Amino acid sequence: MVLRSRPIFSLLLLFLSSYGFSTAFASGSAIEGGEEDFSEELLLKPLPDRKVLAHFHFETRAPRTPSYGRHHHLFPKAIAQLVKKFHIQEMELSFTQGRWNYESWGGFEPIASSNAKPPGVELWAVFDVPPDDVDASWKNLTHSISGLFCASINFLESSTAYAAPKWSFRPDPGSLRYGTLPREAVCTENLTPWLKLLPCRDKAGISLLMDRPSIYRGFYHSQRLRLRSAKTSSDGTHSSIILEQTLTVVLHPDSQKMSTVNSREPTLQPSWSMSSLFGKKISGTCVLAKSSTVYLQLDWGVVRELKNLENGNQVLGVASIMEESFVSNPAFVLSDKPDKVIREVDSRSEESAILYEFSVRKHSDLGPFDLGFTWKTPVVWSCPQLPLRVSRFLMGSGNERGAIAISFRSARAREGLTHAKSMGESCKVDVNVFQVVPWYIKVYFHTMKVFVDGKPLAVSDIIEKIHVSPSEDKVSPGVLEMILKLPCTVDSAAFTLEFDKGFLHIDEYPPDANQGFDIPPAVITFPTFHVNMHFGEDNLSKKSAVLSRFQENIPVRSYTEVLLVPLTTPDFSMPYNVITITCTVFALYFGSLLNVLRRRVNEEERFLKSKGKRPSALSRLLSKLSAKLGGKRVVASQSSARSSSFISLKLILKIILVAGIAIAWQYFSE
Amino acid sequence: MAEITESPESSPDPPETKSEQREEFDPETMRRTKPGVKRLVLTFSVLISFVIGFPFLWKSVEIYRAPLLFDDIDLLSKRMESEPLRFPCNFRAVFVGFDFGSADFDRADDLQSSISNRMDKFVSGTSPCGTCSSNYSVSVTMESNSRCIQSQSGRHSCSYQCGAISSIDFRGDDESVDDSLERVLGGECSGLAGKVYTVVIVNKDAEDKAIIGKYRHAWIVGRVQEEEAVEKIAEIFVKVFSNGGKEEGLIHGEFMPVGADGRIVLSFNLLNSDPQDWIYDWDFNMIEEHMLSPVVDTLGPVANITVESQVLYYTPKSSYAYWDEELKSFILNTGDLPFFVNSNEWHLDTSTAAGGRSKVLQLVLYIPSAKECPLNLQLPNGEISKANGYISPMWGGVVVWNPMNCFQDPEKYPAWHKISPQDLQKIFEVFVAQIRQLVGLKSDNLFIGTSVRSIMLASEKGFTEWELDALTRQHTCFNLWSCATTLSSLSRLVQSLPRMIIMDEIGKQVKLSMEAAKQAESDASHGIYAAAAVSARQSRALAEDAFFHPSIMSVSYYSFEHCFAVYSPFFLPVSLHVVLAALREWKRYRQEKKKYLTWKARVDASS
Repeated sequence: MVLRSRPIFSLLLLFLSSYGFSTAFASGSAIEGGEEDFSEELLLKPLPDRKVLAHFHFETRAPRTPSYGRHHHLFPKAIAQLVKKFHIQEMELSFTQGRWNYESWGGFEPIASSNAKPPGVELWAVFDVPPDDVDASWKNLTHSISGLFCASINFLESSTAYAAPKWSFRPDPGSLRYGTLPREAVCTENLTPWLKLLPCRDKAGISLLMDRPSIYRGFYHSQRLRLRSAKTSSDGTHSSIILEQTLTVVLHPDSQKMSTVNSREPTLQPSWSMSSLFGKKISGTCVLAKSSTVYLQLDWGVVRELKNLENGNQVLGVASIMEESFVSNPAFVLSDKPDKVIREVDSRSEESAILYEFSVRKHSDLGPFDLGFTWKTPVVWSCPQLPLRVSRFLMGSGNERGAIAISFRSARAREGLTHAKSMGESCKVDVNVFQVVPWYIKVYFHTMKVFVDGKPLAVSDIIEKIHVSPSEDKVSPGVLEMILKLPCTVDSAAFTLEFDKGFLHIDEYPPDANQGFDIPPAVITFPTFHVNMHFGEDNLSKKSAVLSRFQENIPVRSYTEVLLVPLTTPDFSMPYNVITITCTVFALYFGSLLNVLRRRVNEEERFLKSKGKRPSALSRLLSKLSAKLGGKRVVASQSSARSSSFISLKLILKIILVAGIAIAWQYFSE
Repeated sequence: MAEITESPESSPDPPETKSEQREEFDPETMRRTKPGVKRLVLTFSVLISFVIGFPFLWKSVEIYRAPLLFDDIDLLSKRMESEPLRFPCNFRAVFVGFDFGSADFDRADDLQSSISNRMDKFVSGTSPCGTCSSNYSVSVTMESNSRCIQSQSGRHSCSYQCGAISSIDFRGDDESVDDSLERVLGGECSGLAGKVYTVVIVNKDAEDKAIIGKYRHAWIVGRVQEEEAVEKIAEIFVKVFSNGGKEEGLIHGEFMPVGADGRIVLSFNLLNSDPQDWIYDWDFNMIEEHMLSPVVDTLGPVANITVESQVLYYTPKSSYAYWDEELKSFILNTGDLPFFVNSNEWHLDTSTAAGGRSKVLQLVLYIPSAKECPLNLQLPNGEISKANGYISPMWGGVVVWNPMNCFQDPEKYPAWHKISPQDLQKIFEVFVAQIRQLVGLKSDNLFIGTSVRSIMLASEKGFTEWELDALTRQHTCFNLWSCATTLSSLSRLVQSLPRMIIMDEIGKQVKLSMEAAKQAESDASHGIYAAAAVSARQSRALAEDAFFHPSIMSVSYYSFEHCFAVYSPFFLPVSLHVVLAALREWKRYRQEKKKYLTWKARVDASS
């Protein structure tokens, strides 16, 4: 087994050694520009409803060099090969469990717009191939990803499962395909392959916190993988591909600690620390990461409340929560001193969010890093709301028809309509709706009705642009894309669409067909509203991947609920029942026809006459029995023997009569 | 109806009055008219139509099965088993500096026959597939003072300039001798099937040595007797040029690590077992450009090779190494090697880019962590392995590389290092040697036979020409063998499942595969190596395609039980009716006919 080497490359040695040393790394420095790099970040944020948001963000970047897809140092080879093989320009895959609570966890902020995802699996991809090859690439991609992530994403392969939105999902998409699997269950078998793509996996660094039971116990869990290209040089000759892996969880701080706090002060928010949320601490950085940072974000709502508190107390200056040197303030205590305080610069209002930055390397120097957050005074605040709250529901009953309704209610959010209102009566809110409907929900688009503030309006008054591709049975789903223009003063708006429920072929039903069928969520985008945070310092975005994502101009987006439509479920043993009953009827008919054909009526009568002279064995037995019972002799009746021969014919006639009546009854009662 | 045809003896006491009135006619036992055949014909026509209709029904529920050439497949697999592929080879021995007179024209022929005899002795026994045993030709040329005599068989072909070999200076260094021999002998041969291998015997006062060159020739220099030379020549021909210089029982041809589509993916992995201690990186582009691409190009005729690499972190090994005070290192025994690869932590993915049925060979460079550094592999004889690596056939190879600064205290924050080109050079020499072993060649440069101990010159490309010839032969043979086994298992599968649908496409693939296999066989027998290799590869790929066709894998065949369940509710009761009716009518007809005949007999008797 163990071998000795051969002097094969002796000629090459001289040549190689001449330039080999010059490329050696300077020790300790991060990887040079133009090489692959990796960074890890965690953002923690207390939520108004006593929960805590944890947002893990890992970013790996690889330049598009000739060896791309073959030789990699940090970037996962499997993903690079996918990108290269299927010519992926952009792709996003998310696995989500639970529903993002837009009202209490916020809707008008970067995390909600880009990380709040519909339950189950959502996948979209933009391909860099000729339009005819896009579908083939998509199908192959779904199969590859399915294997890579141990999920049934291959169900998105069928043309009934995905759609090609033109403009409503993303502006200027090129060759975009979009598909969702609302019923996909998400669990650790999906997280493990996702972690495998990180250079440190969950062996070191921030990902050490990903304790499976704590994560899956949370209220919301969304694991996302996003691929995008970025131009690294101004002339566009050098580009790189960025793999962004995020995990967004909403957790409830340990209930035991909360209850002790609760007994003293009922409205006090629960205090938490990393170890109480995840059951683990960060014991070191991932040494491969360019940067390893933890952020604690306080929303503008909290900041405003805290400022009010400080102003009321007059104990500390207004700037206290802004100072880097602070350890405690009247509202809360942090267990570690932040390295830096970053303040959002918002032109529109006075209050703005605050981010405390903790470098993991610095804080885990002496021992495991366990950031704790303790509230001292009860604070009540609310999160930035969506311009319009969207919900979707079903109307109607029965297994034949129904209607989908999407309703918008004004939230009167701070940045939203109040801001726009100042522009006067003519101001309009653009709402972009993208809805995919499976083919067995046959939507009649002409039945669309629009109600604004309870009053029905003409469809053309509200809809600025609409694109409908009706569904084709067993071929493609129905797609509705439209831009609604609602007046700014609107309180509520709704539109409804009627549909018929279709029939599926027996082998198209999924297992457990009685559960019903899911309609994928509608994607609502507000193209005129953008979430972006501005920070005072310019070089921040270069340092931090999360903050640079926050600074991007993302349109506000929200997903509606998944709808569950019950369809008529057949009795799956029915084909066999039908076969059996039909065959029996045919056999009965055939047998009796054959008997009738070979019946000899004259002979039978003659035979009966001769037989009538003496009772049959059965009647003799019967008469003997009755005689014994009654104690007297009974003359055997002739009629009993006579009827026995005609019984079959009469019985058949009777049965046919009854069946005929039953059929007629069924037919006329319809 | 039972009552109607009831036999008359069921009525025990016949009416007395009637028998008294007409004694000559008893209606119970005789009748006056001929029994009618109307009903009999009716019931029988129904029965017969059922019987006739049955084959049509059977045909309609029959499933489609494309005809497969079962007999041909059996023939092919039998042929592959009984007589392995025979490649023709031509061996040429050139004797330089032996004395022969002008009348010694038979001497070359004598030498030729004695070499052939020796070779037959070496070949004796079963010869593995892919060698040119039992199908070779030997020619002998004697050259002395610009005078040449040739044996009968070699006279018309492969002429080289007589006396050219004598002029070569065999005292020069081996590389230059090899090159000058190639210039003389490497010319085109006409009219010969297969490759020509030459051994040159130089009889002169010099240090005895035997050298096998990079091309298709070897030379022996020294004072040798003719008998001794014949022995040596025969051994080199058989063991080296024909068998590829392999040790017996190392890796068999069946374990050729080439995918069914004729592709190999070499996946190089650099494993930093604990990046907290140190992180190493490599410049793989440079390695590929300068070291691997010649190897990949050389192996082109055997397999289409692609190279990939990745660096993985936090990948501890799964076996335990102990500290050896004498050797001042951590030692891993040969017995621990099966547990070295940690499949939980080493994510050596299969390549998505390759797809299909390519073979992925994992080549792993393992860098131990500080607490197990230096890590050395121990040979069974107690020595430390120089290459510090091992191979696992069909999986790949592992090389352990110990960083220089093993005993240095690791820094708090590990530094990024790049493995120096010199170190990489050494590591990749080992990797190439491992690849050679994985495809079934020797990894060292000494050939030790029973009579000859020779040095093999190594090629810069990693593989010499005669080694490639041997590999091509072996690979062709293995592909054909694998095609035959795949097809025969397909035919067994198809024959064992009579209700399985077989698509036309499968039939077509099987047919094409058989054609390619035949083509490969005929090419091989004509000595066209490249064409035979291509056809053999194609035949194997087609056979695998047919075997793994999705319609075979997924279509659950419509079972006979299912068919029975669907049709029995109708046919069981109806056939009961039809058969019973036919039976009764037949019985009644016979009975009535008997009655008529008795009456007729009585009438005839009375009249």
